[in-house]
Amino acid sequence: MAQVSAANTQLLVRDLTVRFPTTRGTVQAVNGVTFDLAKGASLGIVGESGSGKSVTAKTLMNLLPRTAEVSGDVIFEGEDVRRLALQGREHFWGVKMTMVFQDPMTSLNPVKKCGEQIAETLRYHLKRDKKTALAEAEDLLAQVGIPEPGKRVNQYPHELSGGLRQRVVIAMALACEPSLLIADEPTTAVDVTVQKHLLDLLDKLREDRGMSMILITHDLGVARGRCDEIAVMYAGRLVERSAPETLFSDSRHPYTDALLRSIPRIEQPSHTRLEPIPGRPPELINPPEQCAYAPRCRFAQADCLESIPDISGVAGMHEFACFHPANTDRGREALASNLASGRTATGLEISSAGASS
Amino acid sequence: MAGSGHAPLREDLEVLLTVRDLEVEFPVGKGAVVHAVSGISFDVAEGETLGIVGESGCGKSTVAKSIIRLNDIKGGTVDYQGNDLAQLEGEDLRSLRPDLQMIFQDPISSLNPRRKIRQVISEGLAVWGDEKGSWSQSRIEELMLSVGIDPKFGDRRPHQFSGGQCQRIGIARALALDPKVLICDEPVSALDVSVQAQVLNLLEDMKKRYGLTLLFISHDLSVVKNVSDRIIVMYLGKACEIGNANELYENPRHPYTRALLAAIPEPAPTVDVSEGDISGELPSPINPPVGCRFNTRCSHATDVCFTDEPEMQRVGDSDHYLACHHPVAVSINGQQAV
Ligand SMILES: Nc1ncnc2c1ncn2[C@@H]1O[C@H](COP(=O)(O)OP(=O)(O)OP(=O)(O)O)[C@@H](O)[C@H]1O
Ligand SMILES: Nc1ncnc2c1ncn2[C@@H]1O[C@H](COP(=O)(O)OP(=O)(O)O)[C@@H](O)[C@H]1O
Ligand code: SF4
Ligand code: SF4
Ligand SMILES: [Mg+2]
Ligand SMILES: [Mg+2]
Repeated sequence: MAQVSAANTQLLVRDLTVRFPTTRGTVQAVNGVTFDLAKGASLGIVGESGSGKSVTAKTLMNLLPRTAEVSGDVIFEGEDVRRLALQGREHFWGVKMTMVFQDPMTSLNPVKKCGEQIAETLRYHLKRDKKTALAEAEDLLAQVGIPEPGKRVNQYPHELSGGLRQRVVIAMALACEPSLLIADEPTTAVDVTVQKHLLDLLDKLREDRGMSMILITHDLGVARGRCDEIAVMYAGRLVERSAPETLFSDSRHPYTDALLRSIPRIEQPSHTRLEPIPGRPPELINPPEQCAYAPRCRFAQADCLESIPDISGVAGMHEFACFHPANTDRGREALASNLASGRTATGLEISSAGASS
Repeated sequence: MAGSGHAPLREDLEVLLTVRDLEVEFPVGKGAVVHAVSGISFDVAEGETLGIVGESGCGKSTVAKSIIRLNDIKGGTVDYQGNDLAQLEGEDLRSLRPDLQMIFQDPISSLNPRRKIRQVISEGLAVWGDEKGSWSQSRIEELMLSVGIDPKFGDRRPHQFSGGQCQRIGIARALALDPKVLICDEPVSALDVSVQAQVLNLLEDMKKRYGLTLLFISHDLSVVKNVSDRIIVMYLGKACEIGNANELYENPRHPYTRALLAAIPEPAPTVDVSEGDISGELPSPINPPVGCRFNTRCSHATDVCFTDEPEMQRVGDSDHYLACHHPVAVSINGQQAV
């Protein structure tokens, strides 16, 4: 994984916290998220739904609703991104930093031709004239591998397949030559063959343009194949961060470890018994002052219920937030003592065959 | 893919359900029709799990819905214990329907939001009369317990449960009618990975406990392999390859099956990653290609693929069938030998 130094750091996120006041209480959506991204690198953010991936991305993109309470620092190429919004710098987002969403129709206008939509982006941000913009739009469609771009510029989004629509969105995101692309579950709604094409395309564009990427996904396999580094989120926190191979072969956080064990693998024979993670993700309203994973954790000890573990370790190498990490002596001891008593510190019943559900 | 023919049908086993030459079309205006399912034949042995895998729009759900008559069938038969479900009407169909139950992808919206979950689970009572088992509260509580929902929550409504819990409730509702066949259409696709394994294990447990036969639809190749004894790979309304789950993944012979196994994020070791780069767009099911339906995207296609539809044929003497004029040959170490 690329070591981040002042010279090649593109994005610095420090202690990012996002809260949403609601009638039911305050949702603690993102809690003290800290990470760096080197120029040209790709970071995968993985986690299940509700873990705070999209809120993190929307914070970077200045897309949060006004009700959101944000604190922490976001520094992009030396500039304080959260202050850009106050200064009215709307030509930052969509130009230097752009985003692709899961559903291409979030970004596309159904009643406008594809070419016009891309041209509009160019005219708004880069002040191109109409004719130049349309020509550039066609060129962009060709660059993202859309066949017959001359014909597609005049088509409406509904005339295209889901995969082609997502390519149009990627073309639009690339129009102003961004240095960072944030892709939030860009392939979750498409088939595997289309997914492969789109991810290959993003890889190629990143390489050709030296662009960095944050790839948000719930699919650990996608992140493994496409990213230099993976950050795992749980309940609004980063709980583990490392190079993909380290994460897959030597995970430290019990959640990562359990996630990897629970996924069916193509090389296993059929009817291989899966090891599910018991319970479900926690509520983010009034969470107790303890490790958020404790109620589901096979390793949980008394100290896990007394405070929240900070993420620590060797920055840029392998970091994790856990008092009794998996694949360490401390973790093995914790698990052995829980197995001996048949339950964890939270009362979760466990056995060596896997946690009971 | 384009495969028709009856080769994969088995005679030597306790077959519970046989679908023969199933054809389904949907009119879409101006005289056009979507050829959603075009001549598929397969069977399911008692106690077996048959997986159906394929990309969006290939006809998986249409096959499932045709079996329980949720859509009109243009041709073919659906033989269940000596009855052709495709022909039955009225009381005869009614009396068999509880035997075949279905659970759906979207766990929350498939449950009536205004009902308490104990009512949701006993919904079949109102529809099917009470001839199927006793509907005592204790039976409902037993079902809730067996799917892992605490009976003390029986008075809550669906929105008070998570997606995974709603899927458990959906399973309990299906089991309440004491079915023989459970059709699961993408039952874990909407669930988080951490919860997916809970539901997959539950389905395996329920299958054993209640002696169920399962039809399991998914676009996720790893999930399908995990739950299935036998798998059908579908493309554009046709079956391309059918076989024992382990055999099919170890020795995929159809170019499309191989493309799928190569395109997934962590490709199967039996294929080359480049095989996942199938070109072009999915053709329209209104105007499917003549000959083999995969011919517009297949790198192995020759002239015959554009004129003749390949028929299902057996591969060697294992439980493995495919419909392709030029099956891909594979040697032991996964290198293509063709
Ligand atoms: N009621 C309908 N009217 C018209 N076309 C339909 C109808 N239902 C399905 N189709 C079409 O029939 C084909 C098969 O659809 P089906 O829903 O069976 O696919 P599927 O394999 O289940 O896909 P998915 O993975 O997206 O669920 C598709 O082309 C679909 O658009
Ligand atoms: N505008 C909002 N108001 C209140 N809560 C929100 C809002 N947006 C997101 N949340 C909550 O924040 C948490 C994190 O959401 P999100 O980042 O979208 O998760 P994901 O990891 O699935 O992308 C969730 O509990 C979600 O319900
Ligand atoms: S061992 Fe403790 S700190 Fe670590 S994940 Fe489990 S509960 Fe949290
Ligand atoms: S080789 Fe021919 S028959 Fe076989 S899948 Fe390709 S096009 Fe179809
Ligand atoms: Mg999200
Ligand atoms: Mg379907």
